[in-house]
Amino acid sequence: MTIAPPAADAIAEEPARRGLLRYAVSKVGGALLSIAMVIVATFFAFRLLPGDPVRALAQGRNMTPEQLDLERRRLGLDKSLPEQFLEFVGQTVRFDLGTSYEYKRPVLDLIGERIGSTLLLTGTALVMAVSLGIWQGARAGWKPGSRFDKFSTGVSLVLWSVPTFWLGLLLLMVFAAGIGPIPGIFPTRGIESVDAPDGFGYVLDVAKHMVLPCLTMVAVVYAQYLLVMRSSVLDEVGQDYVTTARAKGLKDDEIRRRHAVPNALLPTVTLVFMRIGFVVGGAVTVEAIFSWPGLGQLFYEAIRVPDFTLMQGTFLLITVSVIVMNTLADVIYHVLDPRVRSA
Amino acid sequence: MRKWIGAMAAMGMLALGGLVAPAAQATPGAVTADPKVIRVGATQAMDSMNPFLAVRLVSSSIHRWMYGYLAVPDSKTLQPSPDLAESWTTSPDGLTWTFKIRQAQWSDGQPVTAADAAWTFNKMITDDGAKTANGPAVEDFASVSASGQDLTIKLKTPQASMLDNPVPIMPKHVWEKVGDIAKYEANVYPAVTSGPYIAVEHKKDQYVKLKANPDYWRGAAKIDELQVIFYDNPAAAIVGLKKGDIDLIGRLAPPDFDALKGDDNIVQWNTEGRRATYLQVNHGATTSDNKPIGDGHPALKDPRVRQALHYALDKQKLVDEVQNGLAKPADGSIVPPMYKDFFWQASGDQKVGFDVAKANKLLDDAGYKKGADGIRTMPDGSRKLQFRFSIHTDTPIEEKLAEYLTGWFKELGITLTTKRLDSSKFTEETGTTALFDIAISGWSVNPDPEEVLATHLCSRRPTASGEGGGTESFYCDPQYEALYQQQLKELDRPKRADIIKKMQERLYTDAPVIALYYPNNLEGYRKDRIAKVTSIPEDKGMLYGGSGYWPFYTLEAVSKDGAAAEDEGSNTGVIVGVGAAVLILLGAGFFLSRRRKTVADDRE
Repeated sequence: MTIAPPAADAIAEEPARRGLLRYAVSKVGGALLSIAMVIVATFFAFRLLPGDPVRALAQGRNMTPEQLDLERRRLGLDKSLPEQFLEFVGQTVRFDLGTSYEYKRPVLDLIGERIGSTLLLTGTALVMAVSLGIWQGARAGWKPGSRFDKFSTGVSLVLWSVPTFWLGLLLLMVFAAGIGPIPGIFPTRGIESVDAPDGFGYVLDVAKHMVLPCLTMVAVVYAQYLLVMRSSVLDEVGQDYVTTARAKGLKDDEIRRRHAVPNALLPTVTLVFMRIGFVVGGAVTVEAIFSWPGLGQLFYEAIRVPDFTLMQGTFLLITVSVIVMNTLADVIYHVLDPRVRSA
Repeated sequence: MRKWIGAMAAMGMLALGGLVAPAAQATPGAVTADPKVIRVGATQAMDSMNPFLAVRLVSSSIHRWMYGYLAVPDSKTLQPSPDLAESWTTSPDGLTWTFKIRQAQWSDGQPVTAADAAWTFNKMITDDGAKTANGPAVEDFASVSASGQDLTIKLKTPQASMLDNPVPIMPKHVWEKVGDIAKYEANVYPAVTSGPYIAVEHKKDQYVKLKANPDYWRGAAKIDELQVIFYDNPAAAIVGLKKGDIDLIGRLAPPDFDALKGDDNIVQWNTEGRRATYLQVNHGATTSDNKPIGDGHPALKDPRVRQALHYALDKQKLVDEVQNGLAKPADGSIVPPMYKDFFWQASGDQKVGFDVAKANKLLDDAGYKKGADGIRTMPDGSRKLQFRFSIHTDTPIEEKLAEYLTGWFKELGITLTTKRLDSSKFTEETGTTALFDIAISGWSVNPDPEEVLATHLCSRRPTASGEGGGTESFYCDPQYEALYQQQLKELDRPKRADIIKKMQERLYTDAPVIALYYPNNLEGYRKDRIAKVTSIPEDKGMLYGGSGYWPFYTLEAVSKDGAAAEDEGSNTGVIVGVGAAVLILLGAGFFLSRRRKTVADDRE
């Protein structure tokens, strides 16, 4: 992660941009420091978890003492903690996340195989939840107490309080299995059919598999965007510029969309960027219900073993992406809102 | 912002439109699909396609369908019967085994020879990386050599369980080219195999596709394709079976099995299982150098106390209430009744039945007096009889079990508190550090029970620093050890079975472990898809849960009958799809009209 230094004369010419650059550099520096701390914390945090991974891997299998010791040596668990730590740091800075205990394969490969499907699912769900939340939140906040406000806020809060697992299974049973007159048109598992067609047919096949998991994720999380949007629009409703816009004779809808919403968008942008960081982590529960071959599932399995290297790897990936996205949010905030610049 | 919403709407339409198209295509697909395909669901994904590394049950099952072994359990008797080795002889001292490898072909046309088997075993002996999956299987091998079709294995010590060897024979000409076997994924398709099926595709965490091997030496399987489809959770897999996304699923828990009730197309397959569920009692755990370890309650060192606990268990009640009646109460030990040759059960005076009065009398006689609070104390008055019961977190079955045990032990004047541990902590405390009094445990037993017997050997106890290990009980009993050594040398099956029964008797009376019940093997399959499947053993045996490839080799598919039902399904799919499309069009129209309106407003 290197930052290309811009040409010196460009900086001299534009003090404003220079300010932004300095701001960005300080933020990136902070982020790098956080990442370094996360690397250290990751190693020790996971070593605090109880359990002997070798015994856990051998559970219910016939393993002789000799073989158990052999496995411990192979996994480097016979080395002292400081030795293991140095090795871990050395590997991590070289982007080597080690070899999974259970799969016996490089963690980076395992992540690489699953990150695509996770990003597809959580990314789509995020975009949908954000759009739905912003749209409903803006309208609800514009006319607080209206029927639309009560209805949309109510529904979203109910869905927000529903356990993901329960909702997912319910959707699975109703729309994948089919109940009564409702046919089970959606698949019960996975990201694609076993005999999936090629080309465009494949895209459609994946889309069909995505409907239920995506719906579950959106339903459960969109309330947070709605509420943040609603409250910030609510703040704008009484502002002078809104009154001015009304006085100019603009239609109510137009005032909301053209004037109030852009001003109210900032807190939501922050929230969205924070959530993007977590997108990488996938959604453990949703992935488990719909057998979605993603990272969340990988992380969950890693914890069960416990597969230290795999846990470290996935955890690092998730924390680093959250840090990167937060830093990005800070920088973008700076661009979006002039008020932050002077602060 | 506006454009953005428009784009989103367009994307949404595309996505939803997709729901219609595949449904519409499904009809011609189903009718023309001539190949006979059976889909098996599994609630576990493959960990590796490399048989030297794969340890999960689903992986070893799939490898059993792909590769040949020296011997496999006979489909009727479960006794070792010829597989790739068509015959064998043993030297009088039991140390040299000579196998005759049959004339068969690898799926790439190369002949199968003894050199393949020798390479496989020697690879495991010489390369630590190849020991991961089945290391213990070659630990006793001194040397392995091949000459033509003759394979000679020399052992370090006699080993009667030799024919239950779990190692698949790999094609030398393909696998010797692999560099580091410990890192090899074996994702090359079609795989080169000698068994009934050839893996042709593996999508990680999703499915494995196997085609019938046309040149299989027993004759090709009667279906064309076998698919193994992975589910992350059993509830979804049950939905998949009911819907017909999969045709068979094994290893079901009682509630999932009960959920299959009432579906006319599904056969509930309920047979004796290969597992024993037992209590592990900390009877004074020691390390491999005989030093005490852990914090087990001293009273449990007394066999009379363990016996009393045994009398306080109403096993039938546990079966009815905890396992929904889908198990068999255990009057024996760690070998379940499905293995008729080796199963032992107590009878007459020896049998420990549910008898609280007798349990109380045993404790009274042994000097554990009840205090004012009704709780018994050690004979020297030093400690109350308060035990911990270690179970796993989030296991409803074990929670229920704990409730019953607590109630029964209370009647003995013994307090039982439940200690819930996540699985890795549980394994550590009950297998290495011995920080427990009583723990739940269980073991799935192979047709040859040698390995489960070995889990109670002195040598399986860990060292003080946690090395070694593999014990299921911290047991170390001279009598049991001697019997174990004796059965290893006994090549006469009935005589060996007698010794193994004595070992179980010893475990039953000494009670380092107390068997509770033998859970049934619960599976389900669709009879509108599977016309015939032979279980192992053939008489009310197991399907997916069984050892060997018999059930999946003998699968027969229902031909074409399903077409009508599928037609109907896709018609409803089309109807719903069309409905969705209409809705989308209406929505799009609404959007467009609004957009035009606002544009007009702007212009004013």
